[in-house]
Amino acid sequence: MQFGIFTVGDVTADPTNGREPSEHERIKAMVTIARKVEEVGLDVFATGEHHNPPFVPSSPTTMLGWIAARTERLLLSTATTLITTNDPVKIAEDFAMLQHLADGRVDLMLGRGNTGPVYPWFGQDIRNGIPLAIENYDLLRRLWREDVVDWSGKFRTPLQSFTSTPRPLDGVPPFVWHGSIRSPEIAEQAAYYGDGYFANHIFWPKEHTQRMVGLYRERFAHYGHGSPDQAIVGLGGQVFMRRNSQDAVREFRPYFDNAPVYGHGPSLEEFTEQTPLTVGSPQQVIDRTLGFRDYVGDYQRQLFLIDHAGLPLKTVLEQLDLLGEEVVPVLRREFDALRPAHVPEAPTHASLVTARATESAAAGHAAEPAAAGTGTEGGR
Amino acid sequence: MSRRTLAVVSAGLSQPSSTRLLADQLAAASRDELARAGVEVELRPVDLRDHAHDVVNNLLTGFPSPSLRQALDAVAGADGIVAVTPIFNGSYNGLFKSFFDVLDSGSLVDRPVLIAATAGTARHSLALEHALRPMFAYLRAVVVPTAVFAAPEDWSGGTADGVLRARIVRAGAELADQVRRRPAAAPPDPFALTTSFDDLLAGRDQP
Repeated sequence: MQFGIFTVGDVTADPTNGREPSEHERIKAMVTIARKVEEVGLDVFATGEHHNPPFVPSSPTTMLGWIAARTERLLLSTATTLITTNDPVKIAEDFAMLQHLADGRVDLMLGRGNTGPVYPWFGQDIRNGIPLAIENYDLLRRLWREDVVDWSGKFRTPLQSFTSTPRPLDGVPPFVWHGSIRSPEIAEQAAYYGDGYFANHIFWPKEHTQRMVGLYRERFAHYGHGSPDQAIVGLGGQVFMRRNSQDAVREFRPYFDNAPVYGHGPSLEEFTEQTPLTVGSPQQVIDRTLGFRDYVGDYQRQLFLIDHAGLPLKTVLEQLDLLGEEVVPVLRREFDALRPAHVPEAPTHASLVTARATESAAAGHAAEPAAAGTGTEGGR
Repeated sequence: MSRRTLAVVSAGLSQPSSTRLLADQLAAASRDELARAGVEVELRPVDLRDHAHDVVNNLLTGFPSPSLRQALDAVAGADGIVAVTPIFNGSYNGLFKSFFDVLDSGSLVDRPVLIAATAGTARHSLALEHALRPMFAYLRAVVVPTAVFAAPEDWSGGTADGVLRARIVRAGAELADQVRRRPAAAPPDPFALTTSFDDLLAGRDQP
């Protein structure tokens, strides 16, 4: 199972002292956090993409390229890459380039973006959100899988004899997750292609996640990619820890009460009860996180949000120490012990290269009936 | 004997509340009318005052607390709705509007609704027609023709069989009639997949 961090990249004043980091400080803090994620033994760093203040990460592959050069094992991802307002041609190019530079340590999560005014800045209209996500992704897949593409659609100019360069590393495109909070069409899209489905999970009651993951698993099986429990699921989580849980609650409360998304609304206690937010000791975070499995089944990726709402860098790095030393080693062991053998890990570049080699070998023996019908990796 | 449910929404802020009193009388009138037609009715009172903080939290976070979820489900799943608000500044009060703002869109399509209001002066009576009726029209609910307004004189000067009583009975009968004409309510499921992926790919999902 993979564990990591996802960050929104907000510039928010620290409510305890009013200090607001500059954009430069925030950007440098984000890459410091990413390096720390690797240092403490976690697997994934995923950055958001935003094109409006108070957010800084408008250019994710630039940032991830920098991180790639300064890390060895860390898997670089996004949360999310805007499949609606980015040209799929540019996504194909940027992420293939990143794949080469990072020696395959790349995947990405696609999302639509829910801020209406952003769409026209990129020539689009939020009312076309779902159709854009469907059409653009279908083109993106072809650009990575076909050397020469002839294409026409509704939302961008046609392509004639177009080759997206560089070609994906080893001819294997990055694995794709589709993120959505409550649009069943996106769970269906992930299932149709046999891609991963990521439930944001945080800020919402677990029932949303349960319904969406259930739908995705059922449709994943419907489209012949494997059994429902073999579908590739990722979840978000939101934690704040101190060794003593009362200290965690006391320290986090002003950040909670003033947070941009949910501040000045429900109390910390209500929000903790109604959403996956966990504020307390490392053991409480372990128990709560293991409980996610009870309503989504065995899953492949757990990302935590730890750096929003004006929390200072020093505090965030302390959170990473706790995750790396006390929480994730236990979660890895416990989740691995619970997971049946037929449930796969999340695909990586290495596993996708192996799967493709196996597939070509199988195809080479297609005339022999004995070779057919083995394996469930076909769609991936 | 068939069974139906009526949600009785009251946005009254004081306790006891004349708004709740009016809502109960309208619900009873409708229930009695349905009972005469052989329909057993379950009344589900929803006092918005009890959910006031949760309604505001829902506006801010985008999701309801478990107890507000129950209230929203009670309304979305009812066969008919009695919706009563005090009139503030010539319109429904903010709590009433906010509650219907956080109800899932599409919940009230073709749903029979009886609208009613209380106020400190009879001069507010047309607020029902210029504020409540258009809001429910937007929600594509079926608002019965008789809207019931109760001013202080209706409570103090009115007798048990006075003008207000007559309007309550008439409005209750109109709601009962609309409920009886329809099959039992099934609230929409926001997570239901309504198109196939082939249609989505072919761009046929747009209205």
